[in-house]
Amino acid sequence: MISLRNLERSYKTGHTENYVLRRVSLDIAEGEFVTVMGPSGAGKSSLLNTLAMLDDGWRGEFFFEDAAVHTMNRKQRAELAKRRIGMVFQSYHLLDDLTVAENIDLPLSYKDISRSERQAMVADTLDRFQIVAKKDLYPSQLSGGQQQLVGIARAVIHKPSLLLADEPTGNLHSAQSAEIMGMFRDLNRQGTTVVQVTHSEANAAYGSRVIELRDGWVTRDAIQPEGANTSMGSMAAR
Amino acid sequence: MTILWQNLRYALRQLRRSPGFAITAVLTLALGVGANTAIFSLLDQALLRSLPVRDPGQLVILQGTGKAWNGRSSTHGGDVETYFSYPMYRDLRDKAKSFDGLIATTPENLALQRRGEPEAVDGEMVSGNYFHVLGLTPAAGRLFTESDDSISGNHQVAVMSYDYWRNSMGADSRVIGETVRLNAQPVTVIGVAPANFQSAVWGQTPAVFVPMAMQAQLDTRQVDRSNIHADRWLNIIGRLHDGLTPETAQAQLAPLWHALRADELAAMGKRSPRFTQSFLNASQLKLQPGARGLSYRREGLQKPLLVVMGMAALVLLIAAVNVASLLLVRASARVREFSLRYALGATAQRVFSQVLLEGLIIGLLGAIVGVAMAPLATHTLAHRMVDDGDTTFFQAGVDTRLLFFSFAVAVLVSMLFSAAPALRLMRPDLVSSLKEQAGTGGSGRLGFRRVVVGLQIGLSVLLLVGAGLFVRTLQNLRTQNVGFNTTHLLTFTIEPQQAGVPRERIPALYQQVLDRLAVLPGVTAVGATTSPELAGSDSGSNVTVEGYTPPTDEDLDISVASVSPGYFDTLKMPIVAGRAFSDTDDLEHPLVAVVNQSFARHYFGSDAAAIGRRMARGGGNKLQWMQIVGVSRDAKHSDLRQPAKMTNLTPLRQNKEAFYIALYLRTANAPMQDANSVRATVRSIDQGLAAEGLKTMEGQIEQTLSNDRLIELLAISFGVLAAILAGVGLYGVLAYSTAQRTREIGIRMALGSSRERISGIVLMDVLRLAGVGLLVAVPCALLLARTLRSQLYGVSPADPVTVICVVGLISIIALIAALIPARRAASVDPNVALRTE
Repeated sequence: MISLRNLERSYKTGHTENYVLRRVSLDIAEGEFVTVMGPSGAGKSSLLNTLAMLDDGWRGEFFFEDAAVHTMNRKQRAELAKRRIGMVFQSYHLLDDLTVAENIDLPLSYKDISRSERQAMVADTLDRFQIVAKKDLYPSQLSGGQQQLVGIARAVIHKPSLLLADEPTGNLHSAQSAEIMGMFRDLNRQGTTVVQVTHSEANAAYGSRVIELRDGWVTRDAIQPEGANTSMGSMAAR
Repeated sequence: MTILWQNLRYALRQLRRSPGFAITAVLTLALGVGANTAIFSLLDQALLRSLPVRDPGQLVILQGTGKAWNGRSSTHGGDVETYFSYPMYRDLRDKAKSFDGLIATTPENLALQRRGEPEAVDGEMVSGNYFHVLGLTPAAGRLFTESDDSISGNHQVAVMSYDYWRNSMGADSRVIGETVRLNAQPVTVIGVAPANFQSAVWGQTPAVFVPMAMQAQLDTRQVDRSNIHADRWLNIIGRLHDGLTPETAQAQLAPLWHALRADELAAMGKRSPRFTQSFLNASQLKLQPGARGLSYRREGLQKPLLVVMGMAALVLLIAAVNVASLLLVRASARVREFSLRYALGATAQRVFSQVLLEGLIIGLLGAIVGVAMAPLATHTLAHRMVDDGDTTFFQAGVDTRLLFFSFAVAVLVSMLFSAAPALRLMRPDLVSSLKEQAGTGGSGRLGFRRVVVGLQIGLSVLLLVGAGLFVRTLQNLRTQNVGFNTTHLLTFTIEPQQAGVPRERIPALYQQVLDRLAVLPGVTAVGATTSPELAGSDSGSNVTVEGYTPPTDEDLDISVASVSPGYFDTLKMPIVAGRAFSDTDDLEHPLVAVVNQSFARHYFGSDAAAIGRRMARGGGNKLQWMQIVGVSRDAKHSDLRQPAKMTNLTPLRQNKEAFYIALYLRTANAPMQDANSVRATVRSIDQGLAAEGLKTMEGQIEQTLSNDRLIELLAISFGVLAAILAGVGLYGVLAYSTAQRTREIGIRMALGSSRERISGIVLMDVLRLAGVGLLVAVPCALLLARTLRSQLYGVSPADPVTVICVVGLISIIALIAALIPARRAASVDPNVALRTE
C-alpha cells in the first residue's frame, strides 16, 4: 500500500541542514497495524505527516496504492489524502465552535457529497461509535477520551484506507487509552491500515509491526508476535 | 498616591516598550484632536465667543421688521432688517428709556494717507458714544466722546485700531495728535483702541474708527445722510439697563417704535392702506441678543462650520474607536499578565485604573500633538472658508478656552477607548488564561473587536455618504446651466469716484472704457452692469406694473440692474422677445426696460405680451414709467443655488447714479491671456482707475463656491481618512483572528479543506463584518444626510448613486484589508499549525 524509497526530510537552520528523516525506505502492506516508535526528535511525527501528505518538503520516492506521490503537485496530494487517509491527533484537534456531529461531518463537507447523504453517514458513525447522545454537545463538554473518540469517528467517517494516529492516547489515562486502542484494533480488523506514532509499549502491542526511528534513521523494523496486542489490550483494559 | 505613581511609571514603561503602538495611537488621536481643535477654534470665534467688552450679555442688536421705506438701503451682509436710517437712530437714542446707551456703526472703505501714498484701509464709522457704551478704555490717547460726534463736519478726529497702530505705525505713541488724511480730509488721531478689541461687528477688522459726524465729508458721493429717513445704512447695538431682559425692553419700546414709524409714514405723504398696514401696523422693533456682536458674516459661516465640526467629531470618534481597537489587541496579548495580577491579589478597581491611566496618557499625548498642529490647520481652514481672503478676524493661536476644549476632548475619548480593554481585562478566565490553552474558537474573544470594526465601518460610511453628497452637489453647481455662457468671459469692476473722477464725468468714462476694451485684440464683445453676476450680491426693488393689480399679500422683491447695450451679447444671454438695449437708449430718449421671462410671465402671462407694456420701480404717486422693449431668458444672478429671480434691467445710459460697474469681456482666447492688456487699457483711460478683482467668470464662480469647496474637500479628506482607518482596523481584526485560528485552519486542512476554502473563510468573515456595518450604517447615514439638505444642491440626501458608490468603496476596502490575512490563512502549514503544542 505504501512504499517509501530513500525518503529524506530536513530543515534549514541558518547554514546547517538538520535532518529529521534520513534515507527511509519501507513498505507497508494493506491491513497492517504499524507502530512507529522512538525517542523525542527521532522523526516520528515527520514521518507521519509525510504519510498524511500534510508535508511537501521531503525528497525521495513515495508510492501510495501504486500512485507516485512524489510526482504529484500539492493539490493532487491533498486530493488523494482527502479521499484515502484519515488522521487522529494527540490533542484531538476538534473545532471548539462545532458540535460533535458537526465536527464529524467536517471531512465530508470538503467532499462533493450531498447533504442528506452526509447526514446519513454522520448518523451511522455516531451510532457505530455509540455517541449519538453526545451529538449536540461541544468538545468542551466532553471528557478527553470522548473527545478522542469523536476525533477517531471524524477520521474514519469517509472510510479511509489508511488511518494515521499521532500519539492518539497521549492525553488520556490508561482506561481511556485501552478503549481507544481497542477501537483502532477493531478498525484494523475491519480492513483499515493503521499507522500510529506512540511512546507507549502497551499501545504498540496492539499493532502487528513496530518501526523504530532514531535521529531520522530507521533503526528497527520488526513484526510484532501474534496475539501480543490481545494480551496487552486485555491487560490495559484490566 | 504611591499606587498612582506606581501605575504611572508602569504605564509609561508599557508605552516605551511598544513604541510602534504608542506612536500609532498618539498620532491617530492627534489627528482627531487637532482637526477638532482647529475647527472648534473657528466655530468658537465665529459663533460662540462674546465681544471683549464690558458686560457683553447686556448688549442687544436692533432689528426693525415690516415694509421698508422705498428708498436707498445698504447691506454689508446679514439681515436687511438690521439696517436703520440715521434719523431713526437719533430718535431711538434720544427717546428710548430701556437702554444705558445705543450705538450706531457702519463699515467704510477709506484711503488713509500718513506719509507718502494713500493706503486703502477698512474703517468703521461710529457714533460718539461707541467706546463709552461698550465700556472700553484706550490703549493710548483717548477714545471718542459724544462731543466728537455732536456737530456734523466739525470734528475731524480718528481713533486707530490697536493692530494697525502696532503693525503699521510701530506702536508709536507720538502718533497721538498727529494729522493724517482720510479720503483726502485732514483728521487728527486722538487715540488707540484697546488691544484685544477689533469691532462691535464680529468679522470686521477696521484700521481706523471715525465719528458719524464726518460721514458727509468722507462719503465718496458727498451725500449727507444724517437727515434722510429713507436711507437705511446703519446698524444699531444697544446696552440694556442692568437686569432688563430683551423681551421686556422690546415690549417697553413698542409704543415708541410705532410712534416713530407713524411719523415716517406721515412724512411720506398719502400711501395705500396695504402699504400702511405693512409699514406701520405689521412693523416691530426686535431686540436680539448681542453679546457676540453683530456680524455680516456669521450667517454664511454658521452652517459650513457646523457641518465641518460634525465631520471632525466623527473623525475623532473613528480615531478613538481605532485606538480602542489597538488597545484591545494589546489587551488580548496581556490577558495572561492581568490574570496573574488577579491571581496575586490585584483588585478589579486596581486593574481598571491601570488600564484607564494608560489610555489617559495616550489621550493627553495625542492632545499635545493635536494642539500643536491646530494653529496651522485653523489658518488654512480660515483662508479656504472666507471667499474674499480677509481672514484677519480669525485668530489661529491657541488660548485657554481652546486648550480646555482640546484636553477635555482628549480625556473624554481616552475614557471611551480605554473602557473597552478595561472591561475585557476586568474578569479574565483565570484558569485557561494562565494555562494559555490554545483553542480554536475565535468568535467569542473577538466579538468586541468585531463590534468595534463594525462601528468604524459605520462611521466611515456616514462620512463617505456626506462626502459623496457634497461632491455631487459641487458637481451639480459647477455644471448647471446658469442662463448665460460662463466660458471665455473675463470680469472686473471699476469704481471711478474712488479714483477721484467727478460724478458728472462718470457716464462718459464708462462709455470710453467700453469703447476702448471692445477694440482690444482677442476681445469679441464687452458689456457692463451695475449688479455683478454670481458675485453673491443683488440689488432689489419693488415695482409697479401698469394695469396690474397685485393680490393683497403680494410683496415681491425684483432684481434690478442697469446694463450696457453689449451686455446681452457678451454674456450670451438671449433676448427671447423684443429687442436688447441700443446706443440710443439714453437720457435723451424715453425710458425703456428689459425684463426676464419670469417677470414677463408673472405680470403679463407670456413673453410676447410684455413688449410695449409700462412699468416703474418703487410705488406711490411719483412714478417714472418705462416701456418694456425686450424679454431676456431667465438667468441666475446672485448665486448658483438660488433660482432665477424676476429681473428688471434698464440701460446704463439712463442711470445717473451708476457709481460702480462690473465689466464683462468675451474673449476668443483663454481669458486671462488678455488680462494685462485689459489692466493697461483701464489705467490708460485714467491713472487712478484700476480693474479691480480681474478674473475669469469661471474663477468668479469658484470664488462663490469657496464654502462648498471647503466642505467638499474636508468631507473627502475626512471620509478617505475614515475609510483608511476602518480598513486598517478591519485588517487588524482579520489578521488577529487569522492568527488566532491558525490551529483551526491547520485542522481543516489536515481534514481535507482546500486552500481556496480556507481563504474563503477569511473572505466570508470580512463580508459578514462589512455587510453588517453597511446594513446598520447606510440607513443611519441617509437619516443624518437629511440634516445636510440645505447644503446640498440638485441631489437628494438619499442619492442612490452616492450610496452605491460608498457601498462599493467600502466593499473594495474591506476586500483589500482581507487580502493579506486571506493569503496568510491559505499558506498556513498544517504541519506547523498542528505542532503548536
